[in-house]
Amino acid sequence: MRVGIVCPYSFDVPGGVQFHVRDLARYLLAAGHHASVLAPADDNTELPDYLVSCGRAVPVRYNGSVARLTFGPVTAARVSRWLSDGNFDVVHLHEPVTPSASLLALWAAEGPIVATFHTANLRSRAMQAAYPMLRPSLEKIGGRIAVSEEARRTVTTHLGGDAVVIPNGVDVAAFASATVDPRYAGTPDRPTVAFLGRIDEPRKGLHVLSRGFEEVLRARPGARLLIAGPGSVEQARERMTPSVAAASEFLGLISDADKARLFASVDAYAAPQTGGESFGIVLVEAMAGGAPVVASDLPAFVRVLQPAPGGEVAGVLFPNEDGANLGRCLVALLDDPARRADLRTAGHRRAASFDWSRVAKDIVAVYDTVTNTGGW
Amino acid sequence: METVTWVVVAVAVLLAAAWYLSYSAARLDRLHAQVEGSLSALDAHLVRRAEAALELANAGALDPASALLLASAASDALERTTDRLGDDDLLEGQHFGGRESVESDLTQSLALALTPDIVADIVARDGLAADALDRLEAASRRVQLARRFHNNAVKDVQRVRGKTVVRVFRLAGHADLPQTVEFDDELPVLSAVAGPPS
Repeated sequence: MRVGIVCPYSFDVPGGVQFHVRDLARYLLAAGHHASVLAPADDNTELPDYLVSCGRAVPVRYNGSVARLTFGPVTAARVSRWLSDGNFDVVHLHEPVTPSASLLALWAAEGPIVATFHTANLRSRAMQAAYPMLRPSLEKIGGRIAVSEEARRTVTTHLGGDAVVIPNGVDVAAFASATVDPRYAGTPDRPTVAFLGRIDEPRKGLHVLSRGFEEVLRARPGARLLIAGPGSVEQARERMTPSVAAASEFLGLISDADKARLFASVDAYAAPQTGGESFGIVLVEAMAGGAPVVASDLPAFVRVLQPAPGGEVAGVLFPNEDGANLGRCLVALLDDPARRADLRTAGHRRAASFDWSRVAKDIVAVYDTVTNTGGW
Repeated sequence: METVTWVVVAVAVLLAAAWYLSYSAARLDRLHAQVEGSLSALDAHLVRRAEAALELANAGALDPASALLLASAASDALERTTDRLGDDDLLEGQHFGGRESVESDLTQSLALALTPDIVADIVARDGLAADALDRLEAASRRVQLARRFHNNAVKDVQRVRGKTVVRVFRLAGHADLPQTVEFDDELPVLSAVAGPPS
């Protein structure tokens, strides 16, 4: 099958949608399909074979955070050319309701279209304003996928109709095979807690964690906070109390291999995100890598950690934005090696349901369904 | 001068109206084509599901009573398919021909025949039956997808056909108003191949 995938966000910057698109393309290629990805990228970055750049991304404020997107007539022309050169059996758009190459491709594409909705926080006002213009294009989507129940609810509320839920995939084996790294491993006196995410993006919740870490330092003065993610380190330090700032180690943007080693090594992984998370793939990665997870009780996170209401929780949940509570949860976890071991086991088990082999099979089933025009 | 201006305005308005009408007709036409496409996809996957079910019933892995139940539900489903494709289908493939109950029956027969124990047994023995089970799972999953996608397309058509311009200018012609397809398409509990986590 010839599949054309459009990613609205720049591949120069890491992000959940980008990783999802990259892994999907790799899986399709490995399974013998043809896959081409259209995404914004800087001209001077090294691009993988399957990636076609639709121009340089510009940072714009959209839907509550800064995204790097491309649009305008030049991009539109590149999108059309990619579509006609590609001769695709199915075009798979990600986040079609963003001012981006995805929307332009939706506009221009003919033939079977699949769209994946990642976000759970579409701004309804913006949607309503642009709706009459968007609607005829959105009707062209033959198969809608939502990555979570939250994202699906957003689709049904704002666009009507329904979507099937297929979660984001994780390469579980790659994370599970990572080894403990002495740089990140904690000792009884100096336990380690990891945070991943952009450090200057308030909804990633670093401020909640730094409040909670004051409690941790009170109980364990030697504790280390390992912070991985892009953003201004000076500003982040300024927002912390001196003791937390001193205990924090900023790792910057880390490689996938380092990320896996980080999860395999730390005593706890904290996910203090305050909102706007649709799925929380990083939670699944942490579980696959073997890090005990402490996460805010966002609906998306609850669903990842606790598949059945009232059932086993593969992590620790704390009330959203309650830094003090997060701190107490972390202290309790650091004091209890048996609990950490239990969480590692439960996490491995839970992560298996998000493995790419399983997720990609479901996505290919969607392709089959929308490309099947009867007869066989 | 006055008259010329009026004529120009009138022509412009007429042109705009004509463009809008043809645009609306094209949009509706695309939507109708989409509904037909998604319905035929649903049909194809239902046929595959029924065939896999029939094969499973004849593979000797089930007890005779379950096998008979499954075989009869599957062959009912297959028969209804050929019915619908006959010449007297006046609705040009835009409706489901009352197959809902037959397909629900097949779904329920599958749920009855394929208990977790039996599924585990089939998977463990890994023969003809396991092969049929694999295809049954794939087809059932695709039936679920196809039905949802079809119903989305139907709702789009219904909404657009409710618009005044479409009604007044009869842009839909004589095409019947498509209806959503509702039947029980729950996946049978297949331990080896559980659906995505929800």
